[in-house]
Amino acid sequence: MKTIAETLDNGLTVLLRPMPHAPAVSVWVGYKVGSRNERPGITGATHWVEHMLFKGGGRLKKGDIDAIVGRLGGKFNGFTDTDFTIYFETLAPDQLDTALMIEAERMRNAAFDPQETEAERGVIISEREGAENSPKYLLSEELSALAFHAHPYHWPVIGWKSDLQRIQRDELYAYYLQHYAPNNAVLALAGRFDPEDAMRRVRGHFGAFRPETQPAPLTIREPPQEGERRSVIRRPGTQDHVMIGYRVPELAHADTAPLLVLQAVLGGWRGFSPFGSPFVSRSNRLYRGLVDRKLATDVSAQHRLQADPSLLTIEATVREGVDPAKVERAAIAEVERLREKPPAAAEMVRALRQIRAWGAYDLDGPTAQCLLYTWFEVVASHTLLDTLLTRSQGVTAKDVRRVAEAYLGEGNRSVCTFLAGRTAS
Amino acid sequence: MSGPVRLALGNRCVLLLHEDHSSPMIAFRGSVRAGAAFGRPGVAEFASRLLLRGTRRRTASQLADAIEDAGAAVSCANGMESATIEGRCTRESLRPIMRILVESLSEPAFPPAELEKVRGEILGDIREQQDDTRRAAARRLFEIVYPATHPFHRDPKGDAGTAAGTQRPVVRAFHEAFYGAAGMIFGFSGDLDVDTLQSTVAGAFETLEAGQEPAPVPLPKATRRGSAVVPMPHKSQADFVAGRIAVSRTHPDYYAVNLANILLGRIGLYGRMGAKVRDELGLAYYSFSTLDARRAAGHWTVSAGVNPKNLAKAVSAIRAEMERLKREPFSDAEIRDGKTHLVGALQVALERNAEYASALHDIEYFGLGADFLARYPRIVRSLDADDVRRKAVEYFDPDECSWVASGPVKGMKLAF
Repeated sequence: MKTIAETLDNGLTVLLRPMPHAPAVSVWVGYKVGSRNERPGITGATHWVEHMLFKGGGRLKKGDIDAIVGRLGGKFNGFTDTDFTIYFETLAPDQLDTALMIEAERMRNAAFDPQETEAERGVIISEREGAENSPKYLLSEELSALAFHAHPYHWPVIGWKSDLQRIQRDELYAYYLQHYAPNNAVLALAGRFDPEDAMRRVRGHFGAFRPETQPAPLTIREPPQEGERRSVIRRPGTQDHVMIGYRVPELAHADTAPLLVLQAVLGGWRGFSPFGSPFVSRSNRLYRGLVDRKLATDVSAQHRLQADPSLLTIEATVREGVDPAKVERAAIAEVERLREKPPAAAEMVRALRQIRAWGAYDLDGPTAQCLLYTWFEVVASHTLLDTLLTRSQGVTAKDVRRVAEAYLGEGNRSVCTFLAGRTAS
Repeated sequence: MSGPVRLALGNRCVLLLHEDHSSPMIAFRGSVRAGAAFGRPGVAEFASRLLLRGTRRRTASQLADAIEDAGAAVSCANGMESATIEGRCTRESLRPIMRILVESLSEPAFPPAELEKVRGEILGDIREQQDDTRRAAARRLFEIVYPATHPFHRDPKGDAGTAAGTQRPVVRAFHEAFYGAAGMIFGFSGDLDVDTLQSTVAGAFETLEAGQEPAPVPLPKATRRGSAVVPMPHKSQADFVAGRIAVSRTHPDYYAVNLANILLGRIGLYGRMGAKVRDELGLAYYSFSTLDARRAAGHWTVSAGVNPKNLAKAVSAIRAEMERLKREPFSDAEIRDGKTHLVGALQVALERNAEYASALHDIEYFGLGADFLARYPRIVRSLDADDVRRKAVEYFDPDECSWVASGPVKGMKLAF
């Protein structure tokens, strides 16, 4: 299935994926604004803005979005990440206009009622505190802060708590006005609709919006890492965890395809979806090297596909009674093996077949299709998704070794350990 | 597009299919009547985790390689009433995957080395749950609301004792007793036609021995109301959960209670509960209710994740919303919206093969009838508004609920 792409005069990119037999239509709007666009002092502003955009404005009163989508039985949500903010509704096909109306109001007419903004402070701090309850979240936050010194990937998407306690309504509203404009957005539709009719409706809802001058592109570049970085979190808990991050290039880089194949060989492949999978891969080097050897109870590898140079992470839960240092050494040994020798032919066949098959599983239904194409468009280009799937099939074992050697060295590595039940002296 | 296909095999395994050739994938979801409610505590968890970890013909590694070499994915998870099996494959990989699945179901080897790995995984999961405010609170609640003699009282994973003590012969015996084809259900959706279902899938599943379906799980008796606090002083956020035994999926009250639950704590941003606790008071990131209706029984819960200093306020607000059902019952407009929500939600859910396969499975599992998808809108629309209001008051009575708070809550004075 091909994606129809069009750009309105005001700069809004529109992607259409017609699925004539689908029982639903999914409408997604992605904005090219994430926590990377924040500055110290307003960390978490992007995510807070996302929350405020469920609270009405323009033709929508507070609670209307939930009520409208709720009574239609639709799916809806919003997500904020380092590079983007995304909203969606999936509804019955005859409700396409409803979803477009909601997203059009959200783009330019949000209310940012001062009282509502203040009430949301408690909700967001509660969300952050809920995340802090999880050792894995704490470790992930620590790893980003350790691996990035200059780049905004240093701070968490949800923001530092002190910023969340301080940020004021007017800062959020100014941030919204600056970034929420058609020329900084992508609108994706997938499901049962006629493309010409859908474009007519899209123009009707979004065509009159004027573009906004966008801030200059982010120029911060993380300086080269000159040696391994390490950090330890000591906190009460029940299990130790190890997280390792290697600095790797941005999503649009030519080495992303071999790095994805490397990830598949190293830690298995479970598709591009950022929301996890119920399926555990047991046919990969890390599983064999850590779980089969009874060092860890689970392990995974994940290439963070981001707009700027990013991390390939390895995460392991340490089996009780095992020294976390041993788990770290075993994980690094598996990485070193890939740097020394290309993967075996059978591993390559498996990795490529998994990536090819998950290319279909990932696109199961209109919601999933919009998720991936919107995400790729706001971070790089929607065409890159298909390109990466094609390119990955041409990756050789030598390519995998080359990128392992280039990026997965000691000097590019950050290691964080969560030591449960041991407090700092 | 034609309606779902149902194939009942001679060994009492049932296969269901929804054809959708618009994408080159097949999703399947199945269940075996081998949940934690049966057998000795904790054993079902071992059996389900070990199902895909080696057969008499292949080691665990060979099995994993064979599945992933085919570009497929298969998982098996233990539930309270059943073990569920989920998978993704393509038309090309269907045959080898069905062979692997049937081989795993009929002749698992439970290799000692894998059993030890699984033991470590289960112990790890139990420890993780003990350190998770939300999961720990829910676990404690079910221990309170279900009588100690009822299977739903216990953790499906077992406890540290069962995880440490379960041995291979017990797992093998559990498999022999409960992993028969009788009562087994598999729903498929995607790039699969009826002929292939009959030849490839039914051909493989027919080789399974029927065995005997276990006796139904007995209905639980209501327990007295109780409460507990699970202190975790090192956590940032507290969790609160209240709940009670409610209805099974086939109980005559199910549809009315389900609609009432949607309105109280699900629709939109978590219904009345979310509107009050999250949206109006700004006390919690989440505050919602859940109806978990199973074959034998079910329970209803209301949950919230809250800053400890706001916990008492949030608990009062939750109780107030439940009490409000008596003096300010759901309006006609709320009930109308809830009905359209339920009808629309089913249609939208079926956008994915994975969800369609799951729906087909559930329809068969709960005996809802082959025409359920067509009948469902009528069932929902025919619900009597006053009956829904009455059921809300009856089932969501705070005085009938037990409750648990977890997190940095030690020494706190809480009442519900």
